Amino acid sequence: MANALRRIMLSEVPTIAIDLVEIEVNSTVLNDEFIAHRLGLIPLVSDRAMDMRFSRDCDACDGDGQCVHCSVEFQLSVRCDEDQTVDVTSADLISSDPMVVPVDVALAAARTEGFDSAENKGIIIVKLRRGQELRLRAIARKGIGKDHAKWSPAATVTYMYEPDIYINEDMMGSLTLEEKISWVESSPTKVFDIDPDTHQVKVVDAEAYTYDDEVIKKAEAMGKPGLVEITGREDSFIFTVESTGAVKASQIVINAIEVLKQKLDAVRLSEDTVEADEQFGELGAHMRGG
Amino acid sequence: MTNAPQRYERFVLPEGTKKVSYERDTKIINAASFVIEREDHTVGNVVRMQLHRDANVLFAGYKLPHPLQYKIIVRIHTTSQSSPMQAYNQAINDLDKELNHLKSAFEAQVEMMKQPGDY
Repeated sequence: MANALRRIMLSEVPTIAIDLVEIEVNSTVLNDEFIAHRLGLIPLVSDRAMDMRFSRDCDACDGDGQCVHCSVEFQLSVRCDEDQTVDVTSADLISSDPMVVPVDVALAAARTEGFDSAENKGIIIVKLRRGQELRLRAIARKGIGKDHAKWSPAATVTYMYEPDIYINEDMMGSLTLEEKISWVESSPTKVFDIDPDTHQVKVVDAEAYTYDDEVIKKAEAMGKPGLVEITGREDSFIFTVESTGAVKASQIVINAIEVLKQKLDAVRLSEDTVEADEQFGELGAHMRGG
Repeated sequence: MTNAPQRYERFVLPEGTKKVSYERDTKIINAASFVIEREDHTVGNVVRMQLHRDANVLFAGYKLPHPLQYKIIVRIHTTSQSSPMQAYNQAINDLDKELNHLKSAFEAQVEMMKQPGDY
């Protein structure tokens, strides 16, 4: 189940991304396809995606994918008339739906400082010199990462077994403070620490353990095998989910559970399959009886 | 590139095809294969692992016959107390319940951890 959820988060949780671009004027240095590809990769706020329809099974628009149920339209029109280069960025995309905007624009709006700050000017699409112009219309659609990676809501998803760390207190008590310190420091990640008052070794962050076995090797090198025992719990997982910004990381997990439920529901046996088998029932009973 | 399969063929069920078809084994009683169209390891493995928890299931396995054939085959062999179809339905129902539980537990935890402006 853990791996199924990981796979779904990466490739089957829907998001919205630009899928169709009609270029009206393009006198920039980049060709049309190049710009269309760059537009597709811009993450858009996709909280609406779970309720939207896929263009291919939208009956309101005969699958041409241009109605409000399954698409969002963007306009972009920038022209450079000065001697300095002008950046065309995601902030120049004008959306027909205020819910669906490039994620960096949404974040900047939330911070209220807008695009004035030097480091946040939006995602650059192309740069224009004097006299160059870019004018286009783009359609964003719902899709999944299996179709094209631009629809994937997650940058990375990993999981690990939750570690069970057991310290042999008797053996630990027989160590000197220096030995304890050198043992605690043998772990590449900060999993253990020493209590400053009682000098007891305790686990401060079990999740930081990377199953590197360094502390176990150290204990053996110190002549104390069995000082600590670490096992992975096979019924408990720690997930790390990094979002592209299109959907909140916590929401990706919830959506993935929902998608898996829908997938399982789709693979239920249909009524006619069950009926067809019941006709075999007598034969089956005969076989069992015989 | 001209003969590359369309990307959507991996997950869009062609019209007139059944999502799940069932085929009883002709030699062994209480054994059957289920062919699930347009699914992969995501569903295959999760169903198989759930079937392994069923004490009446003697064998449960799945295979993806070929990476360009977008289907999986789940094979189930049960004791006489059950049937492959019954075990399969039971596995899906149990998984659905487990996912409902996981979802509500996760949502409750997210609600507790919520801070404005989180990402």
